[in-house]
Amino acid sequence: MYTYFIRRLFQSIFTLLAISMILFGLISSVPGGFMSVYTERSDYSPEDLARIRAKLGLDDPVPVRYLKWLGNMLKGDWGNSISTKRPALEEIADRLPNTMLLMSIMLVTTLLVAVPLGILSAVKQYTWLDHISTTLAFAGQSLPVFWFGLLLIIIFAVTLKGADGKPLLPGSGMYTLGEEFSLADRIKHLILPVTMLTFVSAAGYMRYLRSSMLDVINEDYIRTARAKGAKERIVIYKHALRNAIIPLVTLVALDLPSLFGGALFTETIFAWPGGGRLYFNAALKTDYPLVMAVLMIESALIIGSNLLVDFVYAALDPRIRLS
Amino acid sequence: MKVLKTVLTLLFVASILLTACGGQKATEAAPEAATEAAAPAAEAPATEAPTSGGGTVIIGTPQEPGMMNTLLTSSSIEDAVVSLFDEGLVSVNEKGEYVPVLAKELPTVSEDGLVVTWLLKEGIKWSDGSDFTCDDVRFTMEGALSDLSQVSASGYRDIESLDCPDPYTVVATFGEVYAPYLRLFSYTVPDTAGAMEDMESWDINRNPVGTGPFILTEWVPGDHLTFSKNPYYREEGKPNLDSVIIKILPSREVGMQLLGTGEIHALWDLTEANFPELEALAADGVSFVSTVTGENELLSLNFGANDGTAPADPSTAPHPILFDLKVRQAIQYAIDKQSIVDALLYGNVNPGNSAVPVGTFGCPQPVSEFSVEKANALLDEAGWVVGADGIREKDGVRMSLKIATTTGNQLREQTEQVLAEMFKAVGIELVIENVPSDVLFASWESDGMRDHGTYDIVMYTTGPSTDPDSHLYSSFHSSEIPTADNEGTGANFSRYINADVDAWLDEAATITDTAKRKELYCNVVEQINTDLPRIYLYERLSIMGHRNEFQGLKISPTFVDFAWDAANWTLEQ
Repeated sequence: MYTYFIRRLFQSIFTLLAISMILFGLISSVPGGFMSVYTERSDYSPEDLARIRAKLGLDDPVPVRYLKWLGNMLKGDWGNSISTKRPALEEIADRLPNTMLLMSIMLVTTLLVAVPLGILSAVKQYTWLDHISTTLAFAGQSLPVFWFGLLLIIIFAVTLKGADGKPLLPGSGMYTLGEEFSLADRIKHLILPVTMLTFVSAAGYMRYLRSSMLDVINEDYIRTARAKGAKERIVIYKHALRNAIIPLVTLVALDLPSLFGGALFTETIFAWPGGGRLYFNAALKTDYPLVMAVLMIESALIIGSNLLVDFVYAALDPRIRLS
Repeated sequence: MKVLKTVLTLLFVASILLTACGGQKATEAAPEAATEAAAPAAEAPATEAPTSGGGTVIIGTPQEPGMMNTLLTSSSIEDAVVSLFDEGLVSVNEKGEYVPVLAKELPTVSEDGLVVTWLLKEGIKWSDGSDFTCDDVRFTMEGALSDLSQVSASGYRDIESLDCPDPYTVVATFGEVYAPYLRLFSYTVPDTAGAMEDMESWDINRNPVGTGPFILTEWVPGDHLTFSKNPYYREEGKPNLDSVIIKILPSREVGMQLLGTGEIHALWDLTEANFPELEALAADGVSFVSTVTGENELLSLNFGANDGTAPADPSTAPHPILFDLKVRQAIQYAIDKQSIVDALLYGNVNPGNSAVPVGTFGCPQPVSEFSVEKANALLDEAGWVVGADGIREKDGVRMSLKIATTTGNQLREQTEQVLAEMFKAVGIELVIENVPSDVLFASWESDGMRDHGTYDIVMYTTGPSTDPDSHLYSSFHSSEIPTADNEGTGANFSRYINADVDAWLDEAATITDTAKRKELYCNVVEQINTDLPRIYLYERLSIMGHRNEFQGLKISPTFVDFAWDAANWTLEQ
């Protein structure tokens, strides 16, 4: 167990290093780059451009820039965003709470919708309930996110009006500008983005749980449980669900890094000041210190959650440890 | 399962708390400014006239500013937003003319053109209460010249000494004549900002100090910036508004919705493609203001071979089709600019006609004639014969040209399709091959297609800022042809060479007499319309949508500066 742990840890560190190299290379080879902000404008002379390029450290060859970046990062200096001059980590920390709020609520509602629906549609396979929920899941997976989001806005934030003649729900932002923080206001602003995210992501979880429940329900030990006279509730929730839900837990664990990454489309449509838009805009501007910081944290989280899942599996299943 | 639920519940609660704290933290910055602001307001008797003033205007923008220090700004939204608090010695009004702001009058220049003098208005204070004097102007110049600055040092670099004979007189002595001296000091930085080498961590980067009507009091990243009245603003009773909020929106489409519902009062930086939506919103109380920017949507025609040779002189490696003047004339005759304007731009803009259409140096020209007959006659004359498929040929070369512009711009794509039909009518095939904007505008090192001349026709927008000196010089002077020898500097992407144009541009750069310079630039503009390295399709506008209750919005043609007259904005409530 101990050697397995050490081996996997070293593999992960090596993987992160390789990822950082590839990412840095990719970002550096993007055509245009941060300098295109200046070269597009006519009032900058060649001397100005040369000076700014040198200042931004873009004169060094890519490997040198990479080593500098790596050295600084290992010392804890992740670099400053090129456009705001603030530390990249500060920029990320500014947005992280907003992203986490949206994404964690989304995860909870997704599970609240997906788990009961998945169980029900498996237990009552081929009933009207199953048909409706699988159709909805199919729709959720196929709907273009941005289209669905705009539809929600048009219905709830433009067409439908509340008692005061104002739109029923706010269509953008995280709070009403110029008002003090209030929980009711925050929740109102959360409804539409959470609805959209839930509809789209619950679909996948639900279908996953349904098929894994169906597998389990047909197992011999379920028949045995029924044969020994256990109540149907006990059979389903104690014997079947406990086995069927393990793959779902894995799936959820692997999705946890998205709590950090945010949801670009949703944030864009609902003007949510989260991380997804920050990262996207940074990538558009080739603000490489910020982009690298985001991608490295995200990579570390993904690798970390994979590692966690592996260890849990190893703890549960002795066969994995031996290999 | 239980454990998972508990963890998730905890996460949820934690993040709600976190965001609540985050919100408070962001507003914490405000009290300092607010208390400071409150003190002088209490001292000064309330002289504010009880006019219809007050109110908060919310302006939406699809871009987020990153920086409030004018020496470090790089995006057009930053340049636009800083003018809420930052002022220069001079500014540019909505007609594209220079006007004095912190100076009493436009600067005067000595006989030999080497000494420029600004007289500053007296009694002006920064928003932190300190006096605005000649020292601040000198500090601004030093800032622009600093290694850290990200603004153009053009002009400031030529200043040999800047003297302050008294606090309100600025005398700059130049080593050589700097023709566009009027554009200098269009922004100012207080000399209390800090040590020059710490520029990137100055407090004013996010907590700016200015002389303008408003001052930043709250900045929530990714969401909004709140600007409140500057208590030290020089004009009694101004600004009219209590505050201006810059709301960051994810896209123009969302902004249009919010403009219609009244959640925002104005939307920054629209394009000609938004005219139909704006007209649809007129019933909901939305109008728009626009100004001619001096920029043109244009076709740049490549005189040199398009195979990457990047010749310094295109006659050594000419473009097989476009090097011939008759072909370029035929192309201009084949384009019906007015119908493009009417069909695609709802008649709201002028057809393109001049490299410098407006402003102090404006030199408008007659719009080129549309005539299929003349186009055909010229192509026949040039030896291009119509082939079996209706496309002309000459010496085995098929008259097929590629046009490139930025992808994802519907208006440009429609314009290309219309052009392709117009070209086809005279026997020229136009193949559309668009690329993302950072590829189209890529630099020499990044194998930029314009720099290396690996194109036939590119369509994009450019134009002079208020002073056409650098634009005309870099676009049409023969020394500005990007080559391996000059490492691709310059914007003469057509590889256009004309000795007269070179001479006029050289002369205009060394004199300060506005009338004489205008005459020289007009010569250049006329010669361009004769030689046709560029064909001007239509004049670009700066457009902002606004709600009718929000009045006084005037856009200046320099970039998309909408806030230069913010002190006079009003909101009907």
